[in-house]
Amino acid sequence: MAVDQSERRVALVTGAAQGLGHATALRLAADGFAVAVNDVRDDGRLTRLAESIGGLSLPGDIADPMAVTSMVATLVAELGRVDALVANAAAMQMGPFLEQSAVDWWRQIDVNLSGHFRLVQAVVPHMRAAGSGRIVLIASEWGVSGHANATAYAASKAGLIALAKGLARELGPQGILTNAVAPAYIDTEQLQVDADDAGVSLEQIKAIYADLIPTGRIATVEDVAGAVSFLVGSGGSAVVGQTLQPNGGVVRTRA
Amino acid sequence: MSGADAPVVAVTGAASGIGAATAALFRDRGWRTAGIDLRGSDTDLSLVQDVTDAAGMRAAAAEVAGSFGRIDAAVAAAGYYEEGIDVCDITQAQWDRMLAVILGGAVNTCSAVLPHLLARDSGSIVVISSELALGGSATDLHYVAAKGAVLGLVKSLAVEVAATGVRLNVVAPGPTDTPLLAEDSLWRKADYLRTLPLGRLVRPDEIAEAVHYLTTEGSAYCGEVLSPNAGAVI
Repeated sequence: MAVDQSERRVALVTGAAQGLGHATALRLAADGFAVAVNDVRDDGRLTRLAESIGGLSLPGDIADPMAVTSMVATLVAELGRVDALVANAAAMQMGPFLEQSAVDWWRQIDVNLSGHFRLVQAVVPHMRAAGSGRIVLIASEWGVSGHANATAYAASKAGLIALAKGLARELGPQGILTNAVAPAYIDTEQLQVDADDAGVSLEQIKAIYADLIPTGRIATVEDVAGAVSFLVGSGGSAVVGQTLQPNGGVVRTRA
Repeated sequence: MSGADAPVVAVTGAASGIGAATAALFRDRGWRTAGIDLRGSDTDLSLVQDVTDAAGMRAAAAEVAGSFGRIDAAVAAAGYYEEGIDVCDITQAQWDRMLAVILGGAVNTCSAVLPHLLARDSGSIVVISSELALGGSATDLHYVAAKGAVLGLVKSLAVEVAATGVRLNVVAPGPTDTPLLAEDSLWRKADYLRTLPLGRLVRPDEIAEAVHYLTTEGSAYCGEVLSPNAGAVI
């Protein structure tokens, strides 16, 4: 049966040019969503992804409030609605707390936490008008447990977990369900940042991390995309204010 | 009925409530289902068995494996609830029985099923706990303590077998609309439901969805506690 375009649910995924965001966009498209994909710039990958899934390319820096406003305006103009927001974009730079510049430190907060806060502000009116919506904030195990040389990143991710809880309470009664996903180690290009900080190769950091994980393997981007799919899908209708931790058991604490 | 190569799930407490909803959802998604309960269940293989009987549970698991040729997953949902009892009024018998059914039932289910999963180096066990074990509760302390003990059991056992392909995780439901909640239960009161972000009880099928997700897509989870709880504990 053909799906009426106006009835097709719409998702916005940030940080979708590569890695987890890319995999999540593919998964949600396979789940039946029309997917708008954002990244800080489009070097061709964003457009190719959008074309491959019949979605919409929305490049822009979410740390820029004007960009956020115009991005969501375009999204609603083109696709008519927004049912799900997947807040995945992240800036990450590692460095000792006392040595990292204020600019580098705050850039991570501006993108990861403040950028997504503004994006939530921009999409919620449309979700309210529809009487439903799903928001998934991609956090991190480092936001749960912390990590040396990652104070800003961990602070931004811990902030996202708290933001998810607050939004869950505030928006839940309006039918808008917010949750977080806190993966630990995922097999993406971002591991190169970790490798550089540790002074080892990419393959070495993967082996080091695999040793830390009880299940002995780094999560795939598909593992995490599956968590997002569950949370924005029909099966997630009673899950609100929670933090899913597909981390191979590296921590087993409540987040 | 699903084909002979369909995966197999054994569900305790399959005769009603969350267990019944879980068995039904798995069957809808193409699984062959075995139900273990004090009463008969609407499953492909209904076994009448008390989860507190360790030897009986081993025999039940062997019967599931014998009948279907395999076990891919188990769900420990058997349990019961008592509320409105002051801590000083919980009798030794009430305490012992709660621990025997909730914690002992989970232990017996894991003990009975795990060897079958380890033999194939894959599979999943999901144990049902409760949001009350996360946030605490009053006038049902034996239930809270037993459900809390389940968390420690599953997290530890999950790590113990983590190097294999077998995964153990927990689903901690919020107050769910099942026969376990009496008509006059505190958890059905409008005053309480108003405190929940979703303003309503959780449906058993919503718990079943969480169990199905962990079972089918949960290979990156190890000792996870997933909480479809309508916002009861955030």
